[in-house]
Amino acid sequence: MTKEREKLNLIDTDIHERVSYEELLPYLENPWKRYITDCHWIQEKRMPYTQPAVAGVDRADARVPDGRPAGSDLGFMQKQLLDDVGHEFGILTGALDPSPSSMHGWYEMASALARAYNNWQIENWLEKDDRLYGSVHICANDVTEAVKEIERVGPHPKMVQVLLPIDDFMWGDPYYHPIYEAAQRHDLVIGMHHNEPPLYYGKWPRYFIEWHTLLPTSHMMQVTNMVFNGVFEKFPKLKLLMIEGGFTHMPHLMRKMDQQYKDLRHEVPWIKRMPSDIVREHIKFTTQPLEEMSKREFMQLIEQMGSEDLVCFSTDYPHWDYDSPFAALPPNLDEGLRRKIFSENARALYPKLPQSKGGN
Amino acid sequence: MRTVVCNKNDMAPGDMKEATLGRASIVICRTSDGEFYAFANRCIHQGAPLSKGKLCGAPEPTDKVGEYKFCREGEIIRCPWHGREFDAKNEGRTLSNPKFKLKEYKVEIEEDQVVVYK
Ligand code: FES
Repeated sequence: MTKEREKLNLIDTDIHERVSYEELLPYLENPWKRYITDCHWIQEKRMPYTQPAVAGVDRADARVPDGRPAGSDLGFMQKQLLDDVGHEFGILTGALDPSPSSMHGWYEMASALARAYNNWQIENWLEKDDRLYGSVHICANDVTEAVKEIERVGPHPKMVQVLLPIDDFMWGDPYYHPIYEAAQRHDLVIGMHHNEPPLYYGKWPRYFIEWHTLLPTSHMMQVTNMVFNGVFEKFPKLKLLMIEGGFTHMPHLMRKMDQQYKDLRHEVPWIKRMPSDIVREHIKFTTQPLEEMSKREFMQLIEQMGSEDLVCFSTDYPHWDYDSPFAALPPNLDEGLRRKIFSENARALYPKLPQSKGGN
Repeated sequence: MRTVVCNKNDMAPGDMKEATLGRASIVICRTSDGEFYAFANRCIHQGAPLSKGKLCGAPEPTDKVGEYKFCREGEIIRCPWHGREFDAKNEGRTLSNPKFKLKEYKVEIEEDQVVVYK
């Protein structure tokens, strides 16, 4: 950047660090390691399109100069993102490859990958930059192992959330509730980030543009599922962050859930307050990918959500649909709201983040 | 204000290059027909440096669903972030909506040198 510009003191709620399977090997035990070295195991992926932008799913200028994929080098990320923008903190959310909770079987392997990933993340990122905080990766489909892993790395001072990918599992199901109990006990937020949810009746639409347009619907499904399955009634301190779905769909969903609840309460008698109140108390949303809009349009959405405290800025670095903190929000937002979006809402969400700065 | 960017032969058709004009970062494109164009090196969407994108072609607009006709190779600047397409040969206008365009600078070839004016 040629010009000096303001440093934002941003708390960035979605940064994707990337591991290669090779880097993960020293953190894996056998037989898991051998399945990769000898049998060339790679994680299942299903999406038929990986081409959205000039450099696939990454920002074309985020590839590491030595040729490694975007997000794989701490030094380069520090220079291009953390130092340039002026991050106060950044929350790492992984690159969903591997994504142990997305696997449809072989949960022993998935749990081993989660353990290895957490160790790699702590050693190579969290303990090397004070600004970076991390997500606990788990294999949610083996709940016992998942809870064990939360017990093992959850107490690490730089781990602030448990990551659940959005694919085709509905995470509000009571089967997964022990995960929320453990997260709550360790002051960890649940962070949900879509991986490859098959939005179209379990299939794929013909074009990426269709799938990407409707990604927020996968977030809406999880929010609805978590609310009506009583997760927040059972775990009153639990907080959820919906990552990379934006927030502009939420005014509709909150109103719709309220209206449904008035009619259909009898089916979910464990819900004893308006769903929109549950959302306001327990769930926050990241901004990216934010649609372009005027300040007036933006404020109308915030008003319809009934709170200025629900939206946290995220860049999604280093992906192609990165939102620049200098350009993504509508211009001239009131300073108080801007501060909330840039940092204070995230600070209030994560009890393990240092609480002192900002807050004015 | 003027700046000499390079020798004409330093850039092959299809090349894109970053330069500065005073304090402004600019991007020079040599389109496939050998012509030179210069634009502000800042995407009008969120400000990405266009020189890190691609000077490429694009599937041209068509009336037939499912038809891809890739053409204009070396004439379309594609942004490195969200991939918006700018037509270098049409004042840097976006393909999705020609109402929007990049800031363009005048380029002259003077004794084989590529010179950009503001
Ligand atoms: S910054 Fe260029 S397309 Fe968004």
